[in-house]
Amino acid sequence: MNLVCIGISHHTAPLEMRERLWFSEQEIKDALSRFRREGIGEAVLFSTCNRTELYVYDSRPDLRVKTLQDLLLSQKGTTARVSPDLLFTYFASGAADHLFRVASGIDSMIVGDVQILSQIKEGFQLSQENNASGFFMNKLFQAAFHVGKRARTETAISEGAVSVSYAAVELAERIFENLGKKSALVIGAGETAQLTAKHLKSHGIGRLLITNRTSERAEILAREVGGSTIPFDDFCNHLTDVDIIITSVLSDTFVLSVDDIRGIVKRRKASTLFVIDIGVPRNIDPASKEIEGIFLYDIDALQGMIDENLQKRQSEIPKIEAIVGHQVSELSQWYTSLHVTPTIAALREHFETVRGEEVAKNINRFTPHERELVEILTKRILNKILHRPTINLKNGQSGASSESLLKISVLRDLFGLGSDRRDEGIDD
Amino acid sequence: MSPISPIDILNVLLPILYAGTVLVYGRAFFSDVPWAKRIKTRFFLGTVTLHFVYLVLRTIEFRHPPVTSIFELLTVVAFSIAVAYLFIEFRTKAKGTGYFIANIAFLFQLVSSLFIRDLIEVPEVLRSNLFGLHISSAMLGYAAITISAVFGFLYLMLYHEIKSSRFGIVYQKLPNLETLERMGFTAFKMGFLLLGIAIVVGFVWLPSSGLDFSYLDPKLVGTVLIWLMYGIGILAKRRGGWKGRRVMMLSVWGFGITVVSMMVINLFLSGFHKFD
Repeated sequence: MNLVCIGISHHTAPLEMRERLWFSEQEIKDALSRFRREGIGEAVLFSTCNRTELYVYDSRPDLRVKTLQDLLLSQKGTTARVSPDLLFTYFASGAADHLFRVASGIDSMIVGDVQILSQIKEGFQLSQENNASGFFMNKLFQAAFHVGKRARTETAISEGAVSVSYAAVELAERIFENLGKKSALVIGAGETAQLTAKHLKSHGIGRLLITNRTSERAEILAREVGGSTIPFDDFCNHLTDVDIIITSVLSDTFVLSVDDIRGIVKRRKASTLFVIDIGVPRNIDPASKEIEGIFLYDIDALQGMIDENLQKRQSEIPKIEAIVGHQVSELSQWYTSLHVTPTIAALREHFETVRGEEVAKNINRFTPHERELVEILTKRILNKILHRPTINLKNGQSGASSESLLKISVLRDLFGLGSDRRDEGIDD
Repeated sequence: MSPISPIDILNVLLPILYAGTVLVYGRAFFSDVPWAKRIKTRFFLGTVTLHFVYLVLRTIEFRHPPVTSIFELLTVVAFSIAVAYLFIEFRTKAKGTGYFIANIAFLFQLVSSLFIRDLIEVPEVLRSNLFGLHISSAMLGYAAITISAVFGFLYLMLYHEIKSSRFGIVYQKLPNLETLERMGFTAFKMGFLLLGIAIVVGFVWLPSSGLDFSYLDPKLVGTVLIWLMYGIGILAKRRGGWKGRRVMMLSVWGFGITVVSMMVINLFLSGFHKFD
């Protein structure tokens, strides 16, 4: 199949190079328009923070990878600043295999990243909206989405938190039944605290309080996540009202001592309290961990959880590779089948033409009754001759794609059948 | 040679079906097998339905409820545990604990099926319908207490895993702590209610039973004390603000006390609560 994939990713290039080849939505649209003007067949381009990939399906046998590379680099005006050596290239089923691996999340920087599938979907949708994709890309990307879905539903590739902020929320969900009925207090407005607050909100936390030494930062975060702020000097008065506390402030001493925590737990009458201390140095006395009814996690405990989850994800890769292999094989069979049917039709048409011409030349030698018999007899002989090749060709659809394509090629060459389905854009 | 009756067939089939239930729930719990996840509740429900048919057939065939020997009681307990669990699963929509419950039901049914005898001649007192109601509510009550203890135990395991930052299979597969607490407490309340019914029906039935009875019978007093203990537990949660680990500890300890006290009463004390 005339499928080519070229791109750049965290496997082949550092961030500063990937940035240079990052395409915005408008830039993707512009690039797709240009590819069309340049006569490129079907194209899908998507760009994320870790990769930019271009998939091209084109019937021209003379289309060179160099042309595509130049098109991609020149489109971003980076010809001189990004070396083509940093780009990877895959062909035919290798390109499909790569796309499926990307869609499943096993090629991501963080194995099992769930965002990549929606980013590929967006890229494909842009291609459709800009009339840059046709029947082949449709089939290829639907297969990729199927792989992505299977990877997530049939394996544990995206299970378990792999970031500190997400690990905090995952833990909260293992403790509480309904986050919608719980309230959380975020002390500090640093990056991880912000991310944790956002994750809590997206998981439906009922009430979110934010406090920070610099109240403006707390207010900005509160506006962003739909929470409310409380003065930093007053947060101790709210500790008994919340079920989750996230602390991330810079302090030389503990923000909450063991006695503070014990007092909170006592006043909460044994209601579970979940505390995430992501401050370095730690904000909460680690001895508080021993108090009944409190779950205290610091950055190291969360990191341990993340490492374990990453290991588990790694162990799922062989299952995904089996899914990818199966899907590549299905795609190849489908592609081969596109050639088989027209070839069988062309072969039959060719033999029928020969038979018809020969019968027509000699038909006057026979009586009207014999003419009918001649028609039946020659057709029967023709059917018998073509039966075995037809069966073999059809059976070959489920075998190796290259072998079937070779048979088709030989047949077409021997009988002068011409190229098949050129008008539909398929080529050997 | 007498033909094999449906009761005999079900007696052999039921432990196999419970073993199947354990297997299906186990495959769903430990290996996340999609087909197992899909069919597990229906499989358990099918097993329980056949178990119900078995109990009805025994009652009709032998003209008394199957509560006249320890092995008849064991099959009723297995059935009660299964029914109580399915009720809780239906109520809470949490299906991650069935493996542990099905194991208990399987064990009880296996022992029952191995040793159960067809008793036609039993004391007349055991043929009473009120007695049947008394014993079945008591069995369901004890089954609910057992389930509550299992949930309590699972809660404590998960609590310990989260507390000590160990994220094993218990962490990954069990429902969250609050759900386990809710399931455990639902069973806890069911146990209290059903034991209450058993006690009330027992008190109503006793004077008309023709038995030489005493309200100070050790088993009767023991059951009332256990019932009161569970009642106090419910009050402690409702009024005293007991939550989480404390309630689940109560669930486990309550079961432990129940088992020990019943063993002591049955082994070392005598009373009218013996019919064989």
